[in-house]
Amino acid sequence: MLDEHGKAWSYRAKWAYLLFVVFVLLLPVFYIIYISFNEHGFGAAIYEFTVDWYRVVLGDRMLVASLEWTAYLAVGAVASAVPLGLLAAKFCKSSRNKVPFVTLMLMPLFVPADIMGSSLLVFFKNLNGFFEWLSDSLGVTWFYGWFELGFLTALIGQIVYTLPYAFIVILITMSRYRVQQTEAARSCGATAWQAFRDVEFPQIRAGVFSACAFVTILSFNEATRTALLKGGFDTFQNVLVSQMLNIGMSGESYAMAGIMSVIPMVVIGSILIITLIRSDRLERVARAKAAAVMSN
Amino acid sequence: MQADSGVEVVDLSKNYGSVVALKSVSFKIRSGQYFVLLGPSGGGKTTLLRLIGGFMRPSSGNILFHDQDLTSLPPNERPTSMVFQSYALFPHMTVEKNISYGLKLRKLPKTETASKVGRALELVGLKGLNDRMPHELSGGQQQRVQLARSLVLESDVLLLDEPLASLDAKLRKEMCLELKRLQEQVGITFIHVTHNQEEAMTIADRIAIIAGGELIEEGSPRDIYERPQKQFTAGFIGDNNLFEGTVMGQVGSDVKVDLGYARIEVPARESIITEGEEVSVSVRSELLQLVDPDDDSLNRIPATYVEEVYLGLTTSHLVRLSNGTEVVIRQVSEDEGFSKFSSGQEVKIGWQKSSARLHPD
Amino acid sequence: MIRGGQDVPTSPNLWRRFVGDNGLQKWVFYLPALFMLLFSIVPLALTVVWSVFERTTFWMEPGFTLFAYESFFTSARAENYLFSMIHSSWAVVISFIIGFPIAVFVRRRIPQVAQHRVILLFILPFMISELVRVFAMRPVLGRHGLINNLLIEIGIINEPISIILFSPIGVVIGDVMSFLPFMVFAGFLAMEAVQKYVFEVCDDLGARAVHTFRDVIIPLAAPGIFAGGVFIFVNSLGVGLVPTILGGPGAVNAGLIVNQAIVAVDFPLAMAISTIMIVTMVLLLYLGHRLFDLTKILEPIQ
Repeated sequence: MLDEHGKAWSYRAKWAYLLFVVFVLLLPVFYIIYISFNEHGFGAAIYEFTVDWYRVVLGDRMLVASLEWTAYLAVGAVASAVPLGLLAAKFCKSSRNKVPFVTLMLMPLFVPADIMGSSLLVFFKNLNGFFEWLSDSLGVTWFYGWFELGFLTALIGQIVYTLPYAFIVILITMSRYRVQQTEAARSCGATAWQAFRDVEFPQIRAGVFSACAFVTILSFNEATRTALLKGGFDTFQNVLVSQMLNIGMSGESYAMAGIMSVIPMVVIGSILIITLIRSDRLERVARAKAAAVMSN
Repeated sequence: MQADSGVEVVDLSKNYGSVVALKSVSFKIRSGQYFVLLGPSGGGKTTLLRLIGGFMRPSSGNILFHDQDLTSLPPNERPTSMVFQSYALFPHMTVEKNISYGLKLRKLPKTETASKVGRALELVGLKGLNDRMPHELSGGQQQRVQLARSLVLESDVLLLDEPLASLDAKLRKEMCLELKRLQEQVGITFIHVTHNQEEAMTIADRIAIIAGGELIEEGSPRDIYERPQKQFTAGFIGDNNLFEGTVMGQVGSDVKVDLGYARIEVPARESIITEGEEVSVSVRSELLQLVDPDDDSLNRIPATYVEEVYLGLTTSHLVRLSNGTEVVIRQVSEDEGFSKFSSGQEVKIGWQKSSARLHPD
Repeated sequence: MIRGGQDVPTSPNLWRRFVGDNGLQKWVFYLPALFMLLFSIVPLALTVVWSVFERTTFWMEPGFTLFAYESFFTSARAENYLFSMIHSSWAVVISFIIGFPIAVFVRRRIPQVAQHRVILLFILPFMISELVRVFAMRPVLGRHGLINNLLIEIGIINEPISIILFSPIGVVIGDVMSFLPFMVFAGFLAMEAVQKYVFEVCDDLGARAVHTFRDVIIPLAAPGIFAGGVFIFVNSLGVGLVPTILGGPGAVNAGLIVNQAIVAVDFPLAMAISTIMIVTMVLLLYLGHRLFDLTKILEPIQ
């Protein structure tokens, strides 16, 4: 038998390694946030704490407008990808041969952003050309410019990116849901929609909300696809990238990077806290449940 | 229009690609009957129930309620409600909310709902448990709540999908009798699926044996037990011994069958047989006897005694025929210390001619 | 067939069968698949078609020419592509060495309930914009950055080293930092295929850790590891951001070349390189499937 004492030691060592890796992964981001509060920017000898850079960023009209575009895209992504992910998960659950469908849904994960973005770009341009020709020959202007590069195209690019993630998260949540519940509801006289609304959704709500959070963060952090497909407007990330590559990194850039990091961390942090509180409460309920049944 | 045929299934079939789950099943259920679908697991009885409930669409055939074809209707538009095996109570709702769900959908006024729920709870013996949550109830209580939830809707037909399967044996017996009592009290048609013979015999007005996707046989419990028509039924219900042989000819109202190691005579009854046909003969284990080895009358077969198995109420004697077939003879246990036979002893088994049944297929 | 005065249909007509009893409701469920097909599969498939089109000043003409491929293979770009494949391979190997043991550790030593939460720790970096994470490597790896300052203070070196930024090493480091969490996830998912009792059996048999690892864990977890590896490989080849920010002048990977081609308004070229990338990905996945049967990864979901 292995030495018990030695085992505990190696366990701790492995835990330490794990935490060290996470720390190293997060270190650069924290370093950036650290710099963003420095009056003198990066590389300076002195460090003076200030929030001025943030004030500058948030006071800049153009930057705030770009932040708005980022927010619009995020909202659009959630409003589209989560319901689609829900439909996909339900479809998957009720189909007998799942493999082809799941492959279709998860395939975009293996296509990098630049490639997908470029292909979609050319696709939309062609589509526009086709619709132009169509409306010219039919004399109808109804579908003219449907897929002009702009908000819609950027949104579609984001949905292709985030839908697989929403799908997986909801699918995993649903695996614990029992189909008999829906059937029982139907048996009580509910239509498919009523059964979903009253019986299924309350039970998968947590998963759906996680998917929403996930999609928000993914959308918020996505830059490449958006850059290729957006057309006229600029998002926060685009401005940051162009600054990074062209102007060089100013104190504002660090503040912007700081903002971009803090928001997702706040979102995740609050979710983690809420779920931890929830799971504590659920554990208490589960313990009471076990006790009640035992005594029966 | 006669409201006699409460539920009728006509030529119902269900395929999954090349797999045939149900093949051309047809039968009628009278209004107010307790009808049981009995059969081995995977034989198609649950599929049949779910088709009647509307949770699946048939590949072909029709389902009629009170002579109206409702085959294409979804579950919420049929006059049926279903009780499931387990996990079917809504875990996020109280007992009261569970039971009143269907009524709430119908937009019934609150006072009426409350009184209906109260009556339903009393009916199933769970008065006062309105505010409990499903996870706080025992298995038996959960099934009762399901019953209440279905009964409160006052549907014409109640479907039960192995409702007692997840309960322990003693609870199962109790609930079984309660279900029968309930059905008699409420008076609606119950269609109950089970693989448990005893359950079926206890509660059914009529049993349909479903196996291999087909309707094998249908009848009252007594019919099925004492007068099985098909070989499968004989092998499935009760403790029957099956002998296989060839028809040699007919002697009056009896059929001569050659088993190879013996020749026997079986009453023909309604069977139409041809000479040379392969048939099987069943005799219930409690109608077989160990006879005097010198008895040479009809329907006697020599055998070797194997062992005696004491089961409390009954004792089973196992014997082996010359071709290796094992035969079981069951009798009410005699006083202790009275083992007449020893292993390896040459014995003879026999039965009265009318005890045997002929199965032409 | 008439029964009880009512006409009885013998089987639902084609429309009903397609659309279901609830009428049009059923078509809603086809939406996700339709969306993915239309906006993911179709554009990617058409990429191959467009790669053989002829280039015009600002767009392209339908036609058939292998000019784009020719210009790619005869230029320095092909060399860069191959180099970037080497860098990506390094990224995969390093990520595996660093990350997979973590996945094994979590699966093996941490109680079931806490496992998912621990894995979630690795979502944290993933949640922060790829942009920021890669961008953040600059002040860390730069001449006046964190690493150099640290090394000089400790006394290991006297002069700041510049090889770790704006170089292939910088790119590899950037790739590892970006995609390591995926290796941990993939490894964890792969390890779901290895039941706890396997470890216990190995311990009982007295197998040394290395042997256990080599002969038992790796074969069982192979599908997941391979999928994770392909994911990292393809993404590090295809995400142009990393070489742009960390690679220095002239550093490219496939994704960046595509980006540059688009900026240069040479669409057939962009499509050609994309096609090569897509083909690479499909080939790798197909190879992996033949070797390891990647559908096993989906088993936990079934």
